[in-house]
Amino acid sequence: MSNKLLHKTLQVYLVYSVIIFIIVAPLFYFLADKFYINNIDETLLNTKIEFVKITLPKLKNTDIPLWNKFNKNIKIKEYNEINSDTLFYTSYYDIEEQEKEPYRELNSTIIIDGKRYTFSFKINLIESEDLMLSIALLFFGLIIFMLLGLFFITKKLSIRLWKPFYQTLNQIEQFEIDKNMKPQFSTTSIEEFKRLNKSIENLIKKNSIIYENQREFVENAAHELQTPIAIFKGKLELLMQRSDITKGQADLLEDLNKSTNRLTKLNKNLLLLSKIDKNQFDEISSFQIKGLIEKQLDFFKEQATLKNITIEINLKDAVPVNTNITLTEVLVSNLFLNAIRHNILNGKIMLQLVGHKLVISNTGSPIAINSKSLFNRFSKSNSSKKGNGLGLAIVKKIADLNNWEITYSYSNSLHTFSVIF
Amino acid sequence: MKLLLVEDEPELAKSIQQYLNVNEFICEWAATVTSALDKISNYEYDAILLDLMLPDGDGFEILNELKKQFKTDGVIIISAKETLETRIEGFNLGADDYLTKPFHLSELLVRIQALIRRKKFNGNNTIVFNEIEIDILSKTVKVNNFKVELTKKEIDLLLYFIGNQNRVLSKSAIAEYLSGDMADMLDNHDFVYAHIKNLKKKLKVAQCDDYIKTIYGLGYKWTNE
Repeated sequence: MSNKLLHKTLQVYLVYSVIIFIIVAPLFYFLADKFYINNIDETLLNTKIEFVKITLPKLKNTDIPLWNKFNKNIKIKEYNEINSDTLFYTSYYDIEEQEKEPYRELNSTIIIDGKRYTFSFKINLIESEDLMLSIALLFFGLIIFMLLGLFFITKKLSIRLWKPFYQTLNQIEQFEIDKNMKPQFSTTSIEEFKRLNKSIENLIKKNSIIYENQREFVENAAHELQTPIAIFKGKLELLMQRSDITKGQADLLEDLNKSTNRLTKLNKNLLLLSKIDKNQFDEISSFQIKGLIEKQLDFFKEQATLKNITIEINLKDAVPVNTNITLTEVLVSNLFLNAIRHNILNGKIMLQLVGHKLVISNTGSPIAINSKSLFNRFSKSNSSKKGNGLGLAIVKKIADLNNWEITYSYSNSLHTFSVIF
Repeated sequence: MKLLLVEDEPELAKSIQQYLNVNEFICEWAATVTSALDKISNYEYDAILLDLMLPDGDGFEILNELKKQFKTDGVIIISAKETLETRIEGFNLGADDYLTKPFHLSELLVRIQALIRRKKFNGNNTIVFNEIEIDILSKTVKVNNFKVELTKKEIDLLLYFIGNQNRVLSKSAIAEYLSGDMADMLDNHDFVYAHIKNLKKKLKVAQCDDYIKTIYGLGYKWTNE
């Protein structure tokens, strides 16, 4: 799994925020609780001091029942042996709520008319819990609000910051060295991206020049070879006309003829490849592949009979293609002749055209070649005189040019090429 | 019949001349645009074989000059250049045929013959060889005045043989002639044998002499010996 750059930044922020949240939330609760209890304790003590100072001197023994009757939280109880001021948690049953409720209570000893009593003052903590809850909720809300804000600001900012980077990335992704289309980088004010664009531009420029030189070299070499091959071929043909040729010489001439043919074909295919590279087949028309195959079928059948190959054909009216007809012809015939070439005696060829798909299968022994390098120039399964190692490279080139997908597979002793156009 | 060969490569010119000079043709040679223009304005030719890339200019200049002088010499362009543009430009300037190098001399010969036939005989177009009579336009073949049913390929083959009579034709040259551009992708020329066998059989049935000789190791030869 690969992460997007923006997600990576956000991820770090998110993890950091969660950690802060986990640590701060209990701490905050603990501290808030402590402050609140301190506050309550202070109230309890202050109230007691006030009571002792103001109310106590006026209080008589006989007032105690009355006091207790009208005071819910401040009671004067029997002396319970506690001398100093004592604060503690406790709980009382609440009749209204019908449940036990937590209280903070202060017990202290007071003296009324010479007799010792226990002063008891309690404050209900239920309210404090409600308060705590509200504060906590407010706090959580604040944190979540902050995180969301952080998240969106970061996201927005990152997108804006990295925009030139993504534009550059898109340009590079679309770049193909064999297409004559240089990437256009948008201008940016950020130093690093400027450098990036500049370096990539230089890299592409250099490679394009190298590629162009290579292409020209292949083209020129193939072109320059045409004349000497023509001369060689002519002389060979003249030599054949001589009436004094012996059997041995005839054998040599036959071998020479065969080699010259291979040379001619090789050269023509190289020229074809460089012509495709140079985009010389730019005449485009709309046509049916079906018709194109039917036109060539007699020729294929004739070639197939030499190996006694059966041809099964299933041509449906496929979607018309919109491309160069000559190149499509080359693609189809190269695939077909390939299927004949690498076939076995009494073999079979199956040709199927339906929808967007052309499938050619042929019987044959497995090839000792990596199916990935199958489409490379001059990659041949053996050094036999079959083919010149350019046929499938040309097929691939034409498919690529049209953005057609071509695949190869081998199963059940069948070699299958599929073109999706 | 007189031909002008405009070709700057002396060895290739020599081969073409040698192959064509055997019987009915007189083939003159010019290596530059200047000398070609000089020859054109002084003589009449039945056909001009024109290379496009010449040391002192472009073969198209010669086509332009022919147009200017209202000359109707047939022109076959023989060039290593093989783009749609040069082809179209050549035909627009009045060329009759286009042959890409490298080619078989036998192929060149039948193209010249076809060109001259088209130029000389308007409409009536038959080739006669002893008892064989071929009507080019209707694509029919008669032997001793009886019609022989031949396929299109077999008629092509017959024309090719008669056009190149007394010359040894290699299997690959015949294959290329019969299958055109497709031949570049073939690595098996055995189908030629099947066509020749069929042609021989059909001619034999029509009581035609067997003119096709197999030349060991080299190919075939149409001969009246």
